[in-house]
Amino acid sequence: MQGISKLRRLVFSSTFIRIASAITTLFGISVFVFLVLRVIPGNTITGAFGIETGALNPQQIAELRHYYGIDQPMVMQYISWMRSFLSGNFGYSFATGRSVFTLTKVALPVTVELAFIGTILGVIMGIAIGMFSARKPGSLRDFGGQLFGLLALAIPGFVLSTAIVTIMANKFHYFPNSLEYMPPWKDPWMNFQQMMFPGLVLGIAVAAPVMRTTRSALLETVDKDFVRTAFGKGVPSRKVQFKHVLRNSLIPIVTMTGIQFGYLLGGAVIVEKIFALPGMGRQVLEAITRREYATVQSSVMVFAIMFVTINILTDLVYRRVDPRIK
Amino acid sequence: MKLRKKIAVVGVATALVAGVVLVAPAQAASKDLVVGITLDIDKLDPQGATSFSTVRALGLVYGSLVEVGPKLQIRPGLATSWGFNAAGTELRLHLRKGVKFQDGSAFDATDVKASLDRILDPANKAAARANIATIKSISASGLNVTLTLTQPNVPILAALDGVNMAMLSSTDIAAGNVGKAGSVNGTGPFKFVSWDAGQSVKLTKNSTYWGGAPKLDTVTFRVIPTEASILSALNAGTVQFAVITSPLVAKQVSSNLTMYKTPGLAYMALQINARQAPFNNLNVRLAVQCAISRAEVVKTAASGDGSVIGPITSPAYKSDPKARPCPEVDLVKAKAYLTAAGYPNGLTFKTMVAPTQQATIAGIGQSLKSQLAKAGITMELDVVDDSTFVSRWLAADFGTAIANNGGKIDPDTMYTRYFTSTGNLNKVAGYSSATLDSLFTQGKASGSVTQRTAIYKAISAELENNAAWVWLFAPLEYRVTAKNVTGFVPLATGSLLELRKVDMN
Repeated sequence: MQGISKLRRLVFSSTFIRIASAITTLFGISVFVFLVLRVIPGNTITGAFGIETGALNPQQIAELRHYYGIDQPMVMQYISWMRSFLSGNFGYSFATGRSVFTLTKVALPVTVELAFIGTILGVIMGIAIGMFSARKPGSLRDFGGQLFGLLALAIPGFVLSTAIVTIMANKFHYFPNSLEYMPPWKDPWMNFQQMMFPGLVLGIAVAAPVMRTTRSALLETVDKDFVRTAFGKGVPSRKVQFKHVLRNSLIPIVTMTGIQFGYLLGGAVIVEKIFALPGMGRQVLEAITRREYATVQSSVMVFAIMFVTINILTDLVYRRVDPRIK
Repeated sequence: MKLRKKIAVVGVATALVAGVVLVAPAQAASKDLVVGITLDIDKLDPQGATSFSTVRALGLVYGSLVEVGPKLQIRPGLATSWGFNAAGTELRLHLRKGVKFQDGSAFDATDVKASLDRILDPANKAAARANIATIKSISASGLNVTLTLTQPNVPILAALDGVNMAMLSSTDIAAGNVGKAGSVNGTGPFKFVSWDAGQSVKLTKNSTYWGGAPKLDTVTFRVIPTEASILSALNAGTVQFAVITSPLVAKQVSSNLTMYKTPGLAYMALQINARQAPFNNLNVRLAVQCAISRAEVVKTAASGDGSVIGPITSPAYKSDPKARPCPEVDLVKAKAYLTAAGYPNGLTFKTMVAPTQQATIAGIGQSLKSQLAKAGITMELDVVDDSTFVSRWLAADFGTAIANNGGKIDPDTMYTRYFTSTGNLNKVAGYSSATLDSLFTQGKASGSVTQRTAIYKAISAELENNAAWVWLFAPLEYRVTAKNVTGFVPLATGSLLELRKVDMN
């Protein structure tokens, strides 16, 4: 009884530590992004007025600084933003005339959907090709699998995206992303068409590391005693591969997938740009150009919260995948 | 079983691909024009518009007193006639009869007065305020408006063109509604329908437009962030009109599309901060100027699509690009200037560049760098983003910078703010002189084209001989349309106002 209670305490304390460290990370990110935006040259006024800022007189500039709230001391600006952010007010985008929350409500599902599609396609391709390669290491099929991994890592997303867009548009007169973006609940078929190719590009990028991780994890596991025993007991090869080898190799694959999903949330900027998807990546990029502090800060915090949450969820999945971790 | 499985997989894959390829998205209806833009608009107040997208989209919704035509001539807009008094200190305008705002209210002199007053009020931060700052008072009566000026200012007429000089309803101004989504109310050929941030701006035709109802039913500005993707959308038939700035993308335009290549007023220049060492030495500036072949820059950076220019690009007063200390690259002269400046072994300097500002900027930087190296001048490229460029540019925190500047149809509005000692961008221009101050004042006051031509020729010479900047070239502007789009006339000002006459077959 005492043992169980000790274990429980341990679990609770490790969860507590995990959450506390996540909060500290988020705080660090909030300070970092806040400071970086203010260290780089330019501000919301130059972002909004461009070279015409030169036509403004000092009084107008002072009024604009007050209007944009950048006349306050930095500490006050940070506290004001944090207070608003924590109460659900993400700030206001002057360029679009909308609240950052409203913009994020539209952009976040696009990016999340894209990241999900990319991850799912990447995991399916990565595990399948990884298993395919690992079945006969050193063979031609292994070479083929590894070549795919190398190419997928080497070809930049923007090259692949541009090639797909150009070929599909020029040869087949097909570029659904140049039509109005349709969320899945409005027009699922159009949404599928608009997400298919960007999802594939991201999927290929995810597949490469997943494939390499899968291959090495499988090769490591396949030499274990329990696999030999399973084969010795006459268990069919396919069953051994899936139930024993793959199952016991899942930890690094899950870790890699979690990391890749996190990266996809922030790394889809270029793909969103080329495929004209109104996602978070574009929102942040355009806001940085315009030096819209509230939009950049709040959007980055949304990314950070999601990244940290995914990491915690990945830890939880470990426990599910490998009972020894419990 | 295995075979059946294989057949099923191949069947599903084929159906999917066929479905995707064959069930291509429906093309837009025949009179609905979709314009591809790389950047979303950023406001709905036309008088405060500065971004190209905003200027182009709102330029279809609002009207101005005068317009600039295809040959850069000033032609009637909301004003049908005008005239200056002999001293050039009073401009009288007669307004067009029967013009209505899109909300149905009539347009008259009260609206003109309210609109100009709004531009002149510093609190409104109107983009073109400096161009009409010489207006002392405005009197309005019926369809007649008189602008009394603080000093002779003939070029003010040309300054009344464009979306930044949009005429607004006095009722909207009084109610503080300008710039609000529900109150976009102009006199232009199209009416504002909606703005979906980051995605599109929708306009519909204004059937009561004073120039006759447009043939197009709707115009949609769709945000597609890269020019290459816009070209793909044109090829796919989902976009029917686009403005392209990249010569490389323009080269890929197929014969299935129509391309209009037009020289614009904008120009590329190596801006020199003559108040900062070593550029406060005239010989250094001249050495840089003589070491550069502008034709080579056009060839390498703009794929040959551009023309070498002098300081003034306004067609009526265009500078002769050969009238400069080194019309062609002259390395011997460049080295002699360097030696005279005290740099016989060459010198090193930094040039600020923001490649995202314009498609040819990165190429210009590379071309200048390699050309200057032949004269013993090492040019280091200081690459920054747009906002950083603007911020440092305004603070004159640079020795040299590659700039993409907008031109104007009158040299006065183009350069007074840069090269007069009291100009609001003189700090940025880095050069002024008593001679230039005097010449600009004379140019403003003169109503004679012959006289003004001589004055602006003298201004050009003063700028070139002192190598205030190194003027490079004027890039071509590309407008690409689908083949079924007819009747478009490109304007060198960059305005898309002529979409009012476009039809779709």
